[in-house]
Amino acid sequence: MSGIWPDGVAPADVDLERVWTGVAAQVWRRNPRLPERLLARLLRSPGLARALLTTPSLLVPWLIASTVVFAAGALATIGTGTPWVALLAPAIAGAGIAYAYGPGVDPAYELSMSMAVSDRMVLLARVLAIFVIDTALGLAASAFSATAAGVAFGWLIPMTAVSGLALAVAVVTRSPNVGVAAGTGAWAMTVLSGQAAFGHLAAALNDHWLYLPYLVVAAGSAALVLIRTAQPRRSA
Amino acid sequence: MDDDQLIARVADGDDSALRELFRRNAPWLTVRLRAMLPAADVEDVLQETFLAAWRGAGGYRPGGAGGGWLWGIARRQAALHIRRRGPATSELTHAAPAGQGGRDPAEIALARVDLAAAMAVLGPADSPERGAWRLLYLEDRPVAEVARLMGVPAGTVKSRAHRARRLLRAALQDGRPAAGGGR
Amino acid sequence: MNIEINDLTRRFGRTTAVAGVSLRAGPGVFGLLGPNGAGKTTLLRTLATVIQPTSGTIRLLGRDPGQYGPRREIRRRLGYLPQALGYYPGFTVAEFVEYFALLKEMPAAAVPRAVAAAIERVGLGDRARSRLRTLSGGMLRRAGIAQAIVNEPELLLLDEPTAGLDPEQRVEFRTLLRDLGQRATVVVSTHLVEDVGAACTEVALMNGGCLVFHGTTAELTALGEGHGVGDAPLERGYSAVLTAARA
Repeated sequence: MSGIWPDGVAPADVDLERVWTGVAAQVWRRNPRLPERLLARLLRSPGLARALLTTPSLLVPWLIASTVVFAAGALATIGTGTPWVALLAPAIAGAGIAYAYGPGVDPAYELSMSMAVSDRMVLLARVLAIFVIDTALGLAASAFSATAAGVAFGWLIPMTAVSGLALAVAVVTRSPNVGVAAGTGAWAMTVLSGQAAFGHLAAALNDHWLYLPYLVVAAGSAALVLIRTAQPRRSA
Repeated sequence: MDDDQLIARVADGDDSALRELFRRNAPWLTVRLRAMLPAADVEDVLQETFLAAWRGAGGYRPGGAGGGWLWGIARRQAALHIRRRGPATSELTHAAPAGQGGRDPAEIALARVDLAAAMAVLGPADSPERGAWRLLYLEDRPVAEVARLMGVPAGTVKSRAHRARRLLRAALQDGRPAAGGGR
Repeated sequence: MNIEINDLTRRFGRTTAVAGVSLRAGPGVFGLLGPNGAGKTTLLRTLATVIQPTSGTIRLLGRDPGQYGPRREIRRRLGYLPQALGYYPGFTVAEFVEYFALLKEMPAAAVPRAVAAAIERVGLGDRARSRLRTLSGGMLRRAGIAQAIVNEPELLLLDEPTAGLDPEQRVEFRTLLRDLGQRATVVVSTHLVEDVGAACTEVALMNGGCLVFHGTTAELTALGEGHGVGDAPLERGYSAVLTAARA
């Protein structure tokens, strides 16, 4: 644990340990690519940019998977006339957002709770990023499958509610898997109840009376998440 | 593992090989550079030397002259450093011999270091090889006169000179002070 | 004074993990001893600004961790090694240390040098670009120590730092501690008594959430004279104090 010359062979007035540190600094450094550098500028925080780009749900494989699901939904919409994109969007976002959360996903979670870039800040940035990306993917898929404008946007509010619910459950149960299950399960039940009551799957999207409950769920979830991620923690 | 293998590993991107290369060679490089530069400058030059080695290891031709290769890089970096800092680096102005007119003080200083290191290979100042070499080549005396001055036959003078040339050639190729002679 | 806590209490439901602890500490190495469940980890987590106290006051590095701005300033100057530190298996040692250097809001230009220095200091210089999944337990622990010291913290909190280190590494670690303790307050929580003996200037002993001893290692040793059980003087002092506290 004493650096490069444990036997103290280094000459007297030249600090070779310091020289090696200078060499190692350049050799070992990670050179972030342009997207990360731009993000760091935008967020005014290189740490937040790095944390954002290492989110499980934002990593390339997850993005590819989401794109594939949305594409499948677009094709299914064209094929069957049922707005699958709109029905899938809330579930996909909910899953991604639940996996943005700490303990189940981040092995160094305890340590992250002591950081200057707080874990809550990282969580909120990740949630926002995933939501924006999934919205963009959803809009693209909707445009591609040329569904009616109402349904093209109509999934945004349920998506907010489902995402909020998934995240809140993940935070309270300290398990992203439970959060995903809760979010997607609740959405599936809503959609199926809509079908049972009105005869078609898109009822959960079209029924304007549901907007208020969706927004209440979203707001309540947000409040719960903010309270539970307070800095420093009030509970364990 | 010898220097050739280490440098090959460095060329492959093995940073722990670079670390070992540094561990082995930085001390003697420091001594050489310290002969002509202040300590802080030596640190900068050494750092640039090993970074250049890291980047340029792919260009090294194996052949047992790893030390010479490193010293070559160090010389270039030292010269660059001195030129950047400008001729005001005082330690050099009196190291540069008079009458060299027009030659780069950096090059002169480096040449002196090389020369001193090479001469040291010949042994201490009173060794026969060094004496013969100095009289014959530096003072440019004829063989007969050197034989008379040293009190030995002409044949002995010639064989001492021959030995001196061999030692010098070996030292200048390898670049590193050989064991048993020099600093 | 880098740590000033007064009557600090922390409850979890009906359990009281830390009960009325008062402590002041300046630069130096501070050993926190006690059996498992004594409240050491909870105290350390409070000092790391991870959890709030239930009652009592706390000031760290002259600031109040209950407020956003000061807490952020504290965290920039803090180093923390939790008892169970998970690792990102795909990261290299250098990436791991750099990640936390960035999250501690170190100026980006200073990060590469600081990361290199921290890695060399813990003796992982020849594994800097190895992935964490290829390292042994002791090496992982040292990588954890490296991230804790990368920002040259004024307050360094280490929870069982020597887990997985072999005896030779423990000796080197104690040298590192003494070195760090010149400028910073280093709190080392451990249940290995001999770990602290050589390196610590002050020692505190906790039992059942309470502070049952606070003083120098010499004073703790003295309490063990003729009373305690153990192979080493410090161990005897330790057991003597615990026995008295439980009586």
